[in-house]
Amino acid sequence: MSTKRIKSLFKRELTDIFRDKKTLVMMVLVPLLLYPLLIVAMTLITSAVMTDQEEKIYKAAFYEVEEKEKIQDVFEEHEKELSYQLEILETENPEKSLMDKELDAYVTAEEKEGRLCYSIHYLSAETDSVTAADVLYDGLELFREELRKEAVDDLGLDENVVLYPISYEKADMSSKEESMGSMLGSIIPFLMITSICLGAMYPTIDVTAGERERGTLETLLTLPVTNFELIMSKFLAVSVIACTSAFLNILSMMAAFGFMFSFFAESVQNLSFDFATFVPAILFSVIIMLVFALLVTAVCMCVCIFAKSFKEANNYITPVLLVFMFSSYAGMLPDFKLTAATAAVPIVNVTLLIKDLFSFQYNYGLFAVVLFCNVAYSLLTVMVLGRIYNSESVLFAEGFTSLKIFHKRSEMKQGQLPGYGDLLLLLCILILGIFYIGSFATIKLGFLGVLVQQLLILLLPVCYGWYVKTDFKKLFSLKAPGLKGVLASLCFLAGGFCLNLVLSSVLSMFLKDSSESLQAQFDFLLQAPFWAIVVVMAVLPAIGEELMFRGFVFGTMKGKTSPVMAVLMTGFIFGCYHFSLVKLIPTAFLGCLLAVLVYRTGSIFPAMLMHFANNFISLFVSKYQEQLSETYPALMNLDFGGGQVMVFAGMILAGGIFLWLGWRISRKKESSLINEGMI
Amino acid sequence: MKSGRKEINKEGIAHNGNGGKDMLKAEHLSKVFIRTKLEEETVKKGKGFKKKSVKEEFYAVNDISLEVGPGEILGILGPNGAGKTTLLRMLGTLMEPTGGRVVMEDAEGSLITEPVEMKKNIGYLSGNTKLYHRLSTREMLRMLGEIYHISKEECERRIEEIFTVLDMKEFGDNRIEKLSTGQTQRASIARCLIHDPDIYIFDEPTLGLDILSADAIVNFMKEQKKLGKTVLYSTHYLEEAQFLCDRILMIYKGGILKEGTPPKIMEDTKTENLRDAFHVIMEGADEA
Repeated sequence: MSTKRIKSLFKRELTDIFRDKKTLVMMVLVPLLLYPLLIVAMTLITSAVMTDQEEKIYKAAFYEVEEKEKIQDVFEEHEKELSYQLEILETENPEKSLMDKELDAYVTAEEKEGRLCYSIHYLSAETDSVTAADVLYDGLELFREELRKEAVDDLGLDENVVLYPISYEKADMSSKEESMGSMLGSIIPFLMITSICLGAMYPTIDVTAGERERGTLETLLTLPVTNFELIMSKFLAVSVIACTSAFLNILSMMAAFGFMFSFFAESVQNLSFDFATFVPAILFSVIIMLVFALLVTAVCMCVCIFAKSFKEANNYITPVLLVFMFSSYAGMLPDFKLTAATAAVPIVNVTLLIKDLFSFQYNYGLFAVVLFCNVAYSLLTVMVLGRIYNSESVLFAEGFTSLKIFHKRSEMKQGQLPGYGDLLLLLCILILGIFYIGSFATIKLGFLGVLVQQLLILLLPVCYGWYVKTDFKKLFSLKAPGLKGVLASLCFLAGGFCLNLVLSSVLSMFLKDSSESLQAQFDFLLQAPFWAIVVVMAVLPAIGEELMFRGFVFGTMKGKTSPVMAVLMTGFIFGCYHFSLVKLIPTAFLGCLLAVLVYRTGSIFPAMLMHFANNFISLFVSKYQEQLSETYPALMNLDFGGGQVMVFAGMILAGGIFLWLGWRISRKKESSLINEGMI
Repeated sequence: MKSGRKEINKEGIAHNGNGGKDMLKAEHLSKVFIRTKLEEETVKKGKGFKKKSVKEEFYAVNDISLEVGPGEILGILGPNGAGKTTLLRMLGTLMEPTGGRVVMEDAEGSLITEPVEMKKNIGYLSGNTKLYHRLSTREMLRMLGEIYHISKEECERRIEEIFTVLDMKEFGDNRIEKLSTGQTQRASIARCLIHDPDIYIFDEPTLGLDILSADAIVNFMKEQKKLGKTVLYSTHYLEEAQFLCDRILMIYKGGILKEGTPPKIMEDTKTENLRDAFHVIMEGADEA
């Protein structure tokens, strides 16, 4: 890697971008004009609407109300307090009038439990109607007050003693800066993230798809530069633009807000605040935003690099930017706080951090975590980018050719294996399926819903495989396992069980597990007969999840990457599929073991056996927990908390031995590996 | 090995009389693409034709070996889709071969196999190597100079020289988007010259140019040959190839069909010129 070469390439990219008028307009003019215009427009519209509402006379009616005159008197008397004017009309059919917009709201009265009950009828879908109803409500409250006073007077009592024995008021103790900051903190992250995204979008497309469209990519390839240097220079150039754009956005935003406050300061007194209190928050925000711009750039480049043209790049990048913008919205959720856990979630952490900063909560530890995470994610993405960019299919590209399902079925090659694109698509369908169909079925059908969900997982990979005309035997490793496979499966089961026990108890020290909700889930299931539970929770997952994860996922990956990578990825995806942070690591570990089993035996059936046995044991234990506790109290009340290091060590040792045994038993000949194309 | 090439670089274009010393060798090169092939097949029961597409491995270049040395112009001829561009891309190390390898052998006989190192000594030009529109030729050359690690003074000197040789002084400071086709082509050649490579790879350099611009390029190749440089180039203009090339490589469907000097090829096919020879050879290939 030569920094000098990166520097000159970087300089070239920047010159190129800066000489493009479209970029300059997007980067400089749009942010500079957008915020002022937006805010001016908003202020003007708001004030126009407010004046309009104030001047407007709302139409109301009292239908079959006896004390109509009296109420009307109260309304007239308190006209000033009620802030809006009402015109009382007569009507024969109030409901029809309301629907025809001749009335904004009307009041009826009826006797209920010995006293009069007034109902205000209005349309919540109509703004005018809502306002009119509010006015009527306030007016009726005043009327009730009036009646009370009269009653108290009639009894000859002091109204201050009977009606108002105490008085109370709200006193806002936050400084003006604090309330201001909390308001800014909820808007600024969203605006900044959006503006960085917009700032990064155009240059990213320009240096990737644009480069290809203009035909200069091949020229670049003739130069003695490595792909990494190429990618780095492009990445840096776009980052600079994105940062500049973000910076300009912030400036413009501050100017616009300044204008807004000076505008309001005329009408509302005491709104002047000390700007200096926000300086640290702004400085920290700028730092975090600059780092965040790197991440946005890297992610955008990863996507755009596949595009052949501007148009295609636009299509790819839009959903990505939507994800960014929606995630930035997280900061506006009231109870979402920056913690050690949320500090690691990309995008969300930036939003939450800025929100905290503007509420004057300077947690330097978390700040460092957020900063580090963003840098780490950016680097990771750039590394991935370098990897993708190396491949020739991207440089002389055809785009997303690995997505088999988008070809016409009649054009598909018999016995092909799915690509990474197919894998991704299937996982997306799976998530959607579980999210919509699965959860819906579970809520509606209860126990049967779980069955539906399991069938879904079973059918999805099979259908997808059928559609792309895959080689089922090869993809799903459908091969008779043999005795060795079964033995290996049992060894892995025992080994996995031991190690997972240790793993779970270690993890439970760090993660507060939601075992209660887990228990609740089981209770609801355990009401069904045991054989049915075994079918739905052990037999079906053993078949379906194995076909999905060790079949489709592992089968797709094993020929395309190193076995270690394929095993780890399969495990990770399997862990994620359980949608629980507590379960993630143990299930990922199990997933890896199952994938190893498939890899070593070349057959999916040992993995199915192990999966079934594993699920069956945990079901059995939960079902007969009490009986087991009585018979084997020591086994059921394993307490790893207090210094039982020996037990730990013993379990690890036993687990290791079992796994080693399984590994040895399942060893296969080199020749069979070659036959399957794994070497 | 490295220092040897640097000396050549310092000598500059005009003074570089002893020329390049490097040989470019291709050993059993092949390149496989996966392509979709549409096949019409008759469907029974009167449904007429149905298009069926089959994915197949396609050898764009199939086991080609060649060797070019200093002071030689090698012409690569062949119909469209014969694999000329793919072959040249692999020779220019832009594309990785599926099989075989490309190596450079310097005067001392040591091999260079690293693509980045080889690129330092290759000037590659094709219809697909467009220039950055928003830069001027001078700015582009300066940028390239930095990338090739040429010192500033040396780079300025060389730019002046290139501008004189290619007669670009008038438009050298204009943005490339403002140039005419012929001027752009000259700017492209300037791009290949800045690092004074020993090997030039030109993919259809005269395509779509007027006679004057095309002649300028042909003359340029002749000049480079005199300087002892190696030139590989592909073209569809057979007359041009006939009097320019020292050796001709005719390729068809990814393989070498005929190799030899132009007189030898004409003699073998009993024809008067290369155009007729080309027809004879192609017909022979199709029959076979």
